[in-house]
Amino acid sequence: MTPPGTGVGLRGGRGERPLGGRVVRLGLVLALAFGGLMLGAGYWQVLRADDLARDPNDAAVIAAAASAVRGRILDRDGRVLATNRRDAGGELYRVYADASLSAPLGYASRLYGSAGLEAAYASELLGVGGDDPVSRALAKFRPPAQRGDDLRTSLSLTLQRLAVRLLGADRGAVVALDPRTGEVLAMASTPTFDASGIANPATSRPAFAAARDDPGQPLLNRAIQGRYVPGSVFKIVTAIAGLSSGAITAATAFPQQPAAESTGLLVSGFRIRDGHHPFTGSEVLDFPRATEVSCNIWYALAGLRTGGAGMDEAARRLGFGEPIPFDLSTATSQLTNGRGPLPGGFMDDVELASAAFGQGEVLVTPLQMALVAATVANGGEEPRPRLVTAFVSPSGAVRDVPEGMLGRVLSTADAATIAAAMTRAVEGVDGQRFTSGAQVAGVTVAGKTGTAQLGGTGEPHSWFIGFAPAQAPTIALAVIVEQGGRGGERAAPLAGDMLRAYFAAQP
Amino acid sequence: MDPLTLALWAIRLAFLAALYVFLALVVRALLRDVRAASRDPAGALGRLVVVASGSLPAVGSVFPLDAVTTLGRDLGCSVVLDDAFASARHAILTFRGRGWYVEDLGSTNGTLVNGVPVAVALSLGFGDELQIGEVRMRLERGIG
Amino acid sequence: MTAAALPGFPRPVLRRRELSLLLAVAGTLILGSLSLGLTRTGSLALADPAGLVAYLGALVAVHVALVVAGRRVDEVLVPAVGLLGGIGLLLAERLPQDLVVQQVGSATLGLASLQLIWLVLALVIAAVVAITVRSDRWLRLYKYTWAALGLGLLLLTFVFGGETNGSRLTLDLGPVSGQPSELLKVILVVFFAAYLAENRVLLADARVGVAGRLTLPPAPYLLPAGLMLALALGIVVIQRDLGAALLFYVVFLCLFYLATGSKVDIALGIGLFLVGFMVLALVFPHVRDRVATWLDPWADPLGTGYQTIQALHAFARGGLLGTGLGAGLPMIDGHLPIPAVHTDYPLAALGEELGMAGVLAVLGCYLVVVARGLRVAAATADDVRALLCAGLALVIGVQAAIIAAGNLKLIPLTGITLPFISYGGSSLLVNGLIVGLLLAFSDRGPAPPVEPRRRRLGRDGA
Repeated sequence: MTPPGTGVGLRGGRGERPLGGRVVRLGLVLALAFGGLMLGAGYWQVLRADDLARDPNDAAVIAAAASAVRGRILDRDGRVLATNRRDAGGELYRVYADASLSAPLGYASRLYGSAGLEAAYASELLGVGGDDPVSRALAKFRPPAQRGDDLRTSLSLTLQRLAVRLLGADRGAVVALDPRTGEVLAMASTPTFDASGIANPATSRPAFAAARDDPGQPLLNRAIQGRYVPGSVFKIVTAIAGLSSGAITAATAFPQQPAAESTGLLVSGFRIRDGHHPFTGSEVLDFPRATEVSCNIWYALAGLRTGGAGMDEAARRLGFGEPIPFDLSTATSQLTNGRGPLPGGFMDDVELASAAFGQGEVLVTPLQMALVAATVANGGEEPRPRLVTAFVSPSGAVRDVPEGMLGRVLSTADAATIAAAMTRAVEGVDGQRFTSGAQVAGVTVAGKTGTAQLGGTGEPHSWFIGFAPAQAPTIALAVIVEQGGRGGERAAPLAGDMLRAYFAAQP
Repeated sequence: MDPLTLALWAIRLAFLAALYVFLALVVRALLRDVRAASRDPAGALGRLVVVASGSLPAVGSVFPLDAVTTLGRDLGCSVVLDDAFASARHAILTFRGRGWYVEDLGSTNGTLVNGVPVAVALSLGFGDELQIGEVRMRLERGIG
Repeated sequence: MTAAALPGFPRPVLRRRELSLLLAVAGTLILGSLSLGLTRTGSLALADPAGLVAYLGALVAVHVALVVAGRRVDEVLVPAVGLLGGIGLLLAERLPQDLVVQQVGSATLGLASLQLIWLVLALVIAAVVAITVRSDRWLRLYKYTWAALGLGLLLLTFVFGGETNGSRLTLDLGPVSGQPSELLKVILVVFFAAYLAENRVLLADARVGVAGRLTLPPAPYLLPAGLMLALALGIVVIQRDLGAALLFYVVFLCLFYLATGSKVDIALGIGLFLVGFMVLALVFPHVRDRVATWLDPWADPLGTGYQTIQALHAFARGGLLGTGLGAGLPMIDGHLPIPAVHTDYPLAALGEELGMAGVLAVLGCYLVVVARGLRVAAATADDVRALLCAGLALVIGVQAAIIAAGNLKLIPLTGITLPFISYGGSSLLVNGLIVGLLLAFSDRGPAPPVEPRRRRLGRDGA
């Protein structure tokens, strides 16, 4: 028998201490772990529940697509843009008012799923968009031919058709919006595709194949996904950056600028050439004049004076560097590749100077440039663009989508300065040389053309951004015609036609 | 809302509620256990488990120990051992800070620890066996 | 060893608490069955009444058996496990029955029937083990034998086994196929518990200084356990059963902490694991793929990320209260949205149909099982038994936590099962064994004498 006192338990070391305390501590750690699991459940089932359940790839949405009746899509005047029709077998399929709507509306087809607004708002259109499981589950017990909500959009069928017709056989995009509210009046991208053909089960396959194999890439929504060299339209961004940072004022003039017109501006050993406005001769240009005649030298110097950081900051305020909050997903516009050592990510001063007049590594989407014009038009506050303005349930209940602003980009005074300069660019004597065609009788138009050099032997992109009437703008737009030549060749007249039609329709 | 939908949701919610009723009952049982354990703090220091005896106390009985525990036949003792060979006040078991000590209180038949008679106060460890009369008990760790 | 068994015929002991809890479980399961039936048929009817009656009958039978056997074992475990099993049965009933089909004689059995059979068998095993196991000598004395047996089983599977679903390993013995890694976890826990308990003093106190104030247990004592663990983990990893490896390691760390109380060692253990895992991720492409899919399943939404994304969508569709049993999981072209939902993603299915409320309740039930096991561990005077109970309870709880975390995309998905809810014969049987052992070791011994302490009883007078 073991002698007394040698039973395990007396020496008081760690091995001897009772397990009880440790068990409790371990229990607490496990309880914490399970608590973490519960938080995880809460994250997916409460926090992220809405955006996951509304995703067009959600099984419930896909299942509903097979049985529910899709809501219609209407334009701002109540005209039907997308509706349903029954085929010979009694199955419903989608029909669109016009092929010009293919970019914003997209398509909804049993075979190929959905795209555009049809995809983005699939759950609302199919009536699966209830916020809580109660209404979603209740929906199961209503009679099967259940309708989804109608979408009321801000589009104008007239303007949309016109934009596509004016673009014609060229590839390009037009974005027109109301700068006060952000409502998108037209979003055209050419070439278009036959959305009705894709949606119709009888013609789905050939229509989709045609769209997919078309070298013009009609399935690409150029208005929001196309990234282009902006050329001189980007000078407005430089102006915003310079004025809001205080680097330049309306009176800023660079003495070396007239001489540099002929010899070229030397920046870090590289010569930047101009020569687009020989008629200014030896005039030292200030901001309004430089904008009117689209002087690259002046803007290069303004950009260098503002500095990379200033440019980058203003661009970010406008929405560069991130997708733009919008009903559809947008590509990101960029100021530069961002890999350089200079502030803002520029490689060197040459790139900064080139970016200042819209060359360099700058890439923009037409929507972004339309927003730039809208910001100036709206007194310096950038509106949030939106396509859908309301949901109308089958019972008639209307759920409005609130409008909003993306933020203040520059002061009202600075915006007014830029607006004045842009007005001169369209209405001024010298300005008209560049923006011929953008003028509208009886309305003061403000704007800027752009001729985006692509390098090589191809034609440059033809750009125009602007707004009207200049004193109290109600419409802002951006037009790009791919490889359409100078800004004034295609884009400016197209914009003029759009504006003319818009104002003609106003009461 | 039609009666079917109402019934459906009533039953679904009732099912979820029933799950929580069960959990609540379990938690109540757990809490009762904890309270029972803490109501009897005497058991926390140590216990004596009967491993052999004449007829009483029953083998397997557990006596929780206080810091000072008297053992014997007398009713005033903490642990009453109704054994013919146990004295009225037979032995005393004390917990002094770091360990247990047993002392014989001048009993007729003496106290054995692991078979060895106890002369003076002797320290005990867990697992050691204490014999009083015909009752043999093992000192064990307390609860908690 | 604790109090010995009573001699003679065991006296039946009423288990009131267990009975009342079982009644609550029965009520809950009946409501669940009604809910499913109503959703399916539109009228007030139980879904699969025969199965429900059979299952509840089995639970009552277990209760009666424990009462008659007179063992004062834990009264909360059986109801908790019963509820979990019942929820698993409801889920199996709600899913399409042709997910798993087996021919037995002339009858074709579908998912729910098979799950019921395995579950009832598991309950039988639990009851039998709870009643007959009366001491743990056979566990603690032959711990090395058990370890060898476990390794032998694993090697056998390595040589003869086949792969299913790319990661799980099954051993086919004629008509029966099972997953030995399930049994291995019990064997390993037994070995670890026995070994760590018997050497805990040395592991905790006789430490060797390594660097400055850092001390480690002496090598000869740490080595067998460490070697055993490394070997098991190595084989398991090569077999691609990452979930089992994680389970073994976590349970080992927990038992080590309980035995030695050394937080430093645990920190070291966690550090070693993280380093090891990173090495594994670099070396093994399948580990790397799993981690990549976990971090961003949307990178390949139609391929590797599909299952994960669908599961998350299921959770989202459930919301707070769920869609109701039978009303979720919308079928696409006749297929369930989540592939292999009955084995890999049961929590997602529960999350969709029972909502966050249901998920929390299910997690709570697992926590209850762990709590009861830990409680027994804390109350037991004997070290080996304490560690055994803790280890067995942890095996169930940690396994549930690992698969739940995988379902919720908190950690990469692993191939282990959700105890009592996932479909899987071997998993159910082994978990039944674990519950049986837990019950057996939770025996509080015979009831203390009813006579008050201070009243004189005796053969002769004062």
